This record gives sequence, structure tokens and C-alpha cells, in this order.
Amino acid sequence: MIRAENLRKQYDRLVAVDGLSFHVDRGEIFGLLGPNGAGKTTTINMLVGILKPDGGSVNINGADDPTRANVRQSIGYAPQSIAIYDRLTASENLEFFGKLYGITGRRSKERIAWALEFGGLKDTGKKLAGAFSGGMKRRLNLAAALIHDPPILMLDEPTVGVDPQSRNLIFDGIEGLKRQGKTIIYTTHYMEEAQRLCDRVAIIDHGKILALDGIEALIRGHGGSSVIEAELERVPDDASHLPGTLDGRRLRIVTPRPLEELAALGRLNLQFAELRIDRPNLETVFLNLTGRSLRD
Amino acid sequence: MKKTWTVARKDLLILLRDKGSLFWVVGFPLLMGLLLGAIFSGTGRPMTGMQVAAVDEDQTEFSKTFLARLDSLTAVTITTTSRDSAFQLVRTGKRAACVILRKGFGETGGVFGDSAMIEIGIDPARQTEAGYLQGMLAQTAFALLQERYFSSQGIKRELHQLMQDSHAWGGLDSTQKGFATGFLSNLAAFMESTEPDTAASAGTGKTKELMPIAVTAVTDDRARPRSGFEIFFPAALLWALIGAAATFGVSLVKERTAGTFLRLRIAPIQRAHILAGKGLACFITCLSVCALLLLIGHVILGVRVADFGIIVLAMAASSLSFVGIMMFISVLGKSEEAVAGAAWGILLVCSMIGGGMVPSIFMPGWMRAIGSISPVKWGILSFEGGIWRNFTLAEMMLPVGVLLSIGVVGYTVGVIILTRADR
Repeated sequence: MIRAENLRKQYDRLVAVDGLSFHVDRGEIFGLLGPNGAGKTTTINMLVGILKPDGGSVNINGADDPTRANVRQSIGYAPQSIAIYDRLTASENLEFFGKLYGITGRRSKERIAWALEFGGLKDTGKKLAGAFSGGMKRRLNLAAALIHDPPILMLDEPTVGVDPQSRNLIFDGIEGLKRQGKTIIYTTHYMEEAQRLCDRVAIIDHGKILALDGIEALIRGHGGSSVIEAELERVPDDASHLPGTLDGRRLRIVTPRPLEELAALGRLNLQFAELRIDRPNLETVFLNLTGRSLRD
Repeated sequence: MKKTWTVARKDLLILLRDKGSLFWVVGFPLLMGLLLGAIFSGTGRPMTGMQVAAVDEDQTEFSKTFLARLDSLTAVTITTTSRDSAFQLVRTGKRAACVILRKGFGETGGVFGDSAMIEIGIDPARQTEAGYLQGMLAQTAFALLQERYFSSQGIKRELHQLMQDSHAWGGLDSTQKGFATGFLSNLAAFMESTEPDTAASAGTGKTKELMPIAVTAVTDDRARPRSGFEIFFPAALLWALIGAAATFGVSLVKERTAGTFLRLRIAPIQRAHILAGKGLACFITCLSVCALLLLIGHVILGVRVADFGIIVLAMAASSLSFVGIMMFISVLGKSEEAVAGAAWGILLVCSMIGGGMVPSIFMPGWMRAIGSISPVKWGILSFEGGIWRNFTLAEMMLPVGVLLSIGVVGYTVGVIILTRADR
């Protein structure tokens, strides 16, 4: 449904996007995961036709030109910044953006009602957006991208700066959209979000894709081993048969197969004061791939 | 067009809810109109360089010397022309007044006689300066008369002439002639002993009363400003346009920084429609505020509209000009603060040199010349044309042409810079 081939964009000497290629299937949530400045927003802007690539091509629903009206009609875009009008009410914002997509009359009323419900703003539709909390504005920002019921959604860091309640509401909403069969490109630098929502993730840094696969495959391929950390109630007299390293009563085991190791520990009849398993995640994948944290 | 109107309607709704911007678009211009009208309804006089058209119908040595002397004053700059042309120059605001030296001026020295030998045609917007000009005319006339009759040099010259002509005196015997020439010789000797200006100073007391001058306001009979408010309301209208251009210029950059412009660009609507929508909203605001202010001026302050068609043309041309200016100032910075600062900075200078703050008559000549690059000057002139100057359509062509040209250039440059910045 969406295909990017060898996309490239350069600002003076800064290469923002450097030969990005990927495709997104219909009904899939595809994540672009990377730190700030990795090239995620530039990539999205090229996909929707705001920025002209210096090289490469974009194909959306079989069309090579994303600036064509019928292509834009099929895309809903929630920018990273909160792009709503403070001096319009939530309903007026939705009505205005709907009109730009030809949504008027009864259909407009229906869509506005749906979008307010989606954003958890049903009771505040007549309030000025400027009076909203940051989380409410974020939800309205997302709802405005959905007002024309597009099959494709591009969500650029849709949860930046929101409270946990709004974040969960947004997550639930996006999962609902996936169930409706929407195709979604989701950029974030929060690995928890990508891990919860995305079917596949492209990890990008300095404008390049470092790895692209499903979550589990990425972790398996690049996450490294799990770490089991345990504090023993009592250290056995003969500790030489214990796996891993023992420091006082603290036992640390680095293993690619943590469940098997746990079963082996169980057979040793050890008493644990504390037991913790640190499994690799997308954060460790990024760390292993770049030597840096996602939030650096 | 439907989508352009959608964008424009949104901007108008936002403006109506923004009390701060509304003040600059409506309240402040009204305040300026009231203040300027009230201040300048009283007296005032030009500080330098009053631009005056001069007509010499007398064509004598004295009239020519008079005009040359008048032109030598720093407070007056003379352009010699015909009577019709002089009145036209004043009526169109190109000259503050015209001075006409009527036939016979040289014989009376412009001072003596029952009928006025000097005629002043004054721009009604500058009525308060008529008295000032009268004073300068009297000063010039009496300076010439002093040189001719009352200065010590002039009197000595006349005495010597009389003594030389004494042989031709008829009706006097030799004793009487001797007595008369002796008296004249003694008088000449006395004049030699006096200070050069003592005699002259005695003749300057009642100059103005002696000098009859006919003063007429140069307008069509149908339209004549009746108050300072009527004269200064055009400046208030221009302040409204400045406020609208600054407000919409800032709102455009705000859309860019907030991301709503990005959202609009991703919608199935062309960039040209988005910008046209913004321009349409600005245009409607300009027209509406002008109409509102004129209505307030008419109902409360007695400001009339001499020619409805001309005032509509002035409103349309000025509004279009400021739409272009709005587009230009919106690209002067990347943040709201930068654009707001640049916009008000530029527009205040335009207003200052264009007569929006201080009437151009109070400005030195070089500043009045620079003022021609300001849309404010042409806007004021076009509104004056519709309010009381009673301009014809042909006379409106110059201000309207300049205003539209400024608008087109501003809009084009703005759109080009905006397009490049978004690449």
C-alpha cells in the first residue's frame, strides 16, 4: 500500500534521510523508531508530498505523486506539533478540517460526533481548543486527522508530552483503528509505544534504517541476551555449581534462554529474596545497534 | 473557490475572537482618527517648506521680484504655473496652496488699493496654514516696499533724484527753489548721519492690515471638508489597514510555526488556495473595517462621503495593496515575534513618511519626496479623493495604480519566498 524506495533528502551539508527503503502493507501498523533528529519526520513529510525528495520515489496506493488530490484524500496526517486552532472550538476545528476534505452537511455532523468520541472529547466539543489541557489538544490533533475517514494514517509522535491517561486513550484508539483495517505509519522515540502498537518497526538513525523487522525478530536478532538477577536468602555451602556470577548473595546470569535457566535454578532448591529477569527490548536493540540510548 | 472561502472564513472567525488583534484593527485606528482630528482641528502652522504653486498674471518687474523673493524664503517653495494648473495642483493635493498675483499688482505694490491684488487658493486640509502663508506674503511685499521707499538707501536715492530734477520744477520762484533744494540737501545730510535701518524700521508696523488678500479654499463646491475629523479620517482608515496587514501577516507565520499550515498543505487543497484564503480574509477585514470606521465617522463625527463609487474604489485598492503587504511581511521572519516586530517597524515607518502620523505638510521636502514610496501616502490620497477632494476616476488612477502595484509586488515576493522556504 505504501512503498518508499531509496528516499534521500539533504539540507545543505546535513543528510536528513539517506537512502531509506521500506514498504507498508494494508492494515499494518508500521513504526519508525529513532531518536530526535533521526529523520522520521522528514521521511513522513516526503511520503505525504510536503517535501520533495532529492532522490528516490514514493508510491501510495499505486500513485507515484503523493500531491495528487485523490492521494491526499486517502491520507490522514497528525503532525508532531499540535496543529489545531486555539480560538476555534473542538467541533469547529473538526468541521474546518473536514470541509477541506469535502466533508459537509449531515456527513460532517456524523464524522464530528465520531471524532469527538474517538478523542474522548464528546463533552467538550463546544469549548475553545485553547482552553484544553495538553492531552486533550493531542487527542483533538489526532481526531482532526481522522475526520475524513482516511484508509491511511501517518501519525508523527502522537503522544509527545501527554499524560498517561491521554496516552492510553490514544493507544486504545489506534488499536481500534487497526481493527478497522487502517494502514498506519507511526513515528516515535518511545520504544514502549512501538513495542505495544507496531507490527513491524524500522529503527532509524542519522537518516538510515539500521534494522527493519517484526518486534520479536528484531529483539532476537539484535537484542542480545536476557539477564537474570537474583538475591539469595542463603548462599549454598557449595556455590561452585551455580550458573552465572555470584557477588555476596547476589547472583547474575546472562543468557539467551532465560526460561531454561530459571527452570535449572528451580531444581537447585534455592530460596530467593528477590528475582528479576531483564529481557532485551527495542531499547537494547537500539543500544546494541548504535551504542547510544534512544533518548540520548 | 469554496475551499478558499473555507480558509478565509476560519481566519475571520479567529480574528473576531481575538480581542487583542481586533483592537489594533478597529480600536486603535478609531482612536488615531479621533485624536488626529481633535488635535488638528485647531490651529497649526507648517514648520518648513510649504509647497506653493504661483501664478504671475501681472508679469511686471515688481511681480517677478516678489515671487523670486517669496521663493527665497526657506518656509516656502514656489512652482510657477498657470491659474488652472495651480488650482488643479492644490485640488489634487500636490501643492498646499497657490498664490496668484493679479493684474495691477506691480502698480499697487500688492499693498495699497481697495481690491485684493493677491489671491491665495488653499487646500482645505491645510486651511490653518492660510494665515501663515498670508503672513509670508505680507512680509515679502513690505520687504520690497521698504527697499523701494522706506530704507535709508531708498530715501537717499529718491532725494538725489528730486534734487537732480529741481530745475524742472514749475510754479516756484528762485527763492522758493533754493529753499526747497536747501531743505532736501539738509535732509539728505541728515539721512547720511542716521543708522541704515532706522528709517526702514518705522514702516513695518501695520503691514498686514494694509494688504488685502483674497483667500479661497480650492475644492469643488460639492465637497468641502467641514472638520478636522473629515480631513484626518483617511489616516485613521490607513491605520486600520496597517493593523489588518500586521495581524494577518503574524497569523500566517503563526500557522507555519504551529503546524496548521502544514496540515492545510497536506489536505487536498492547493497552496495557492490556502494563501488566497488568507488574502481573502485580510481583504474582507480591510473592507469591513474601512466601512465600519466610515460609518462611525459619518454617524458620530459627521464625516461625509463625497463620491460613493470613488470611496469604494479607494477602499478596494488600498485593501488589495495591504493584502500584498501582509503577504510580504509574513515572510520577514520565522517566528511570530520576529514578524510582528518587523511588520510594525516597517509599517510605522511607512505611516510616518506617508502622512499617517504627522501630516506631510509638517515634513521637510526630502521626507515628503520619500513619502511617495509609502502606500500610506497613496492610500490617504485615494480616501481623500472619495471623502472630500472629489477626485474624478481619472484622478484616482495614479493613487489606485500605485497601490495596486505595491500590492501585486508584495504578494508576489511573499509567495515566492514562502514557497522557497517550504522546500
